[in-house]
Amino acid sequence: MTIDGNYVAGEPAPQQPGSFPVTVGWTQAAIAISSVMVLKTPVNLKMNIEMHGPLLIDFGRHAFSWSTPLEHFPLDAVHTGLETIPGGPDAPPMFELPGHDLDGLLWQIGLNSFDGAPAFWLSSGERYRLTRWPNLTQHSHDMRQVKMIAVLGNAYVSTPELATYSGVEVGEAQRLVNALSLMRILSRSAEAPAVPMAPETAATKRQSLFGRLRTRLGR
Amino acid sequence: MAEHVILFTGPMGAGKTTAIQSLSEIEVVRTEANNSERHIVDKETTTVALDYGEILVDGDEKVRLYGIPGQQRFSFMWSILKKRAKGMILLVNADNPDPIAEMIFFLDEFRELYDRGGVVIGISRADVVVGPTLNEFSEALERTNPGLVIPVFTVDPRDRDQMENVLLALIVNIEMREAFGMLSRTESA
Repeated sequence: MTIDGNYVAGEPAPQQPGSFPVTVGWTQAAIAISSVMVLKTPVNLKMNIEMHGPLLIDFGRHAFSWSTPLEHFPLDAVHTGLETIPGGPDAPPMFELPGHDLDGLLWQIGLNSFDGAPAFWLSSGERYRLTRWPNLTQHSHDMRQVKMIAVLGNAYVSTPELATYSGVEVGEAQRLVNALSLMRILSRSAEAPAVPMAPETAATKRQSLFGRLRTRLGR
Repeated sequence: MAEHVILFTGPMGAGKTTAIQSLSEIEVVRTEANNSERHIVDKETTTVALDYGEILVDGDEKVRLYGIPGQQRFSFMWSILKKRAKGMILLVNADNPDPIAEMIFFLDEFRELYDRGGVVIGISRADVVVGPTLNEFSEALERTNPGLVIPVFTVDPRDRDQMENVLLALIVNIEMREAFGMLSRTESA
């Protein structure tokens, strides 16, 4: 499904005659959000999600409203409709402000779309670096993600390099890159050279305070 | 005995003492006295020398947590402590009259600690006042310190889970910067 309702292959789309194509999961939502954010036009989104009510996104105010808390983010959400709504500073708010910080929603959608493949707006051969850290105290995360974010905060790396440097599968690294990219806090470069990292030996791994403190704190 | 010194800095009222209390596994040693600057921050007492707490990592290896006084008249202590430190958690309260200026001030004061270790910035009281957004804090950092990507989080210093996240982010960032050869060697970390 694109923003104008056309179906894009990749997810099951059981058709309901005369209605919006139903999609499962978050890939189509990620595509819609990215498309609107790139356009930079004063347009907001309303997504209808079965059993979870409407999800309203106000891009201008970087806020969203949804009756489902993000702690209960439904991975297999069934999307039954998508509407664009005129926005801008003069338009009446779609929900009671301030709403919730949009970053938290984008984090979840980015991690849980494209099934570990690159988001469609990314290009092969690119390297990535953070422009700012995500607000980790407000996003559900694990320590592997923190380690990957620390890599991205300090060097331009490709997704395979990120996976190698962080000791995770490429698909897991790709999910994080997708999320940070959807949040628009990654800078991308096709020209940035590879940055070597000191090889992690068994000794350096044992010496890692991060690793030991993680264990000590049970995280 | 292995030890890792982490400083907690920031203006008076940012929550440094509370943050150390949230993290420390020992009774925090607190040195407070009557606040003579209540016209600035309406607290009855404030830290005049040090707060100290610690986390036992393994055996006799410890993370030592030092909270240092926020008032500039105690700046002579800052230079002593930053020489021993591995990293810094800079707390700034969002309801400060100018939280961005405070952040920049303390970062400048402790810049050498960033250069050979690491810094994480925690914005406290962001839930009780509409202050600058995290983006605005990050943009101010980029303007004043181009190229630095310092983690900036909203924090509740009373929340142990959040403070553990902040501490772990600081430590992994220091280790990554070391792995990429980005740390200066001017002082022993």
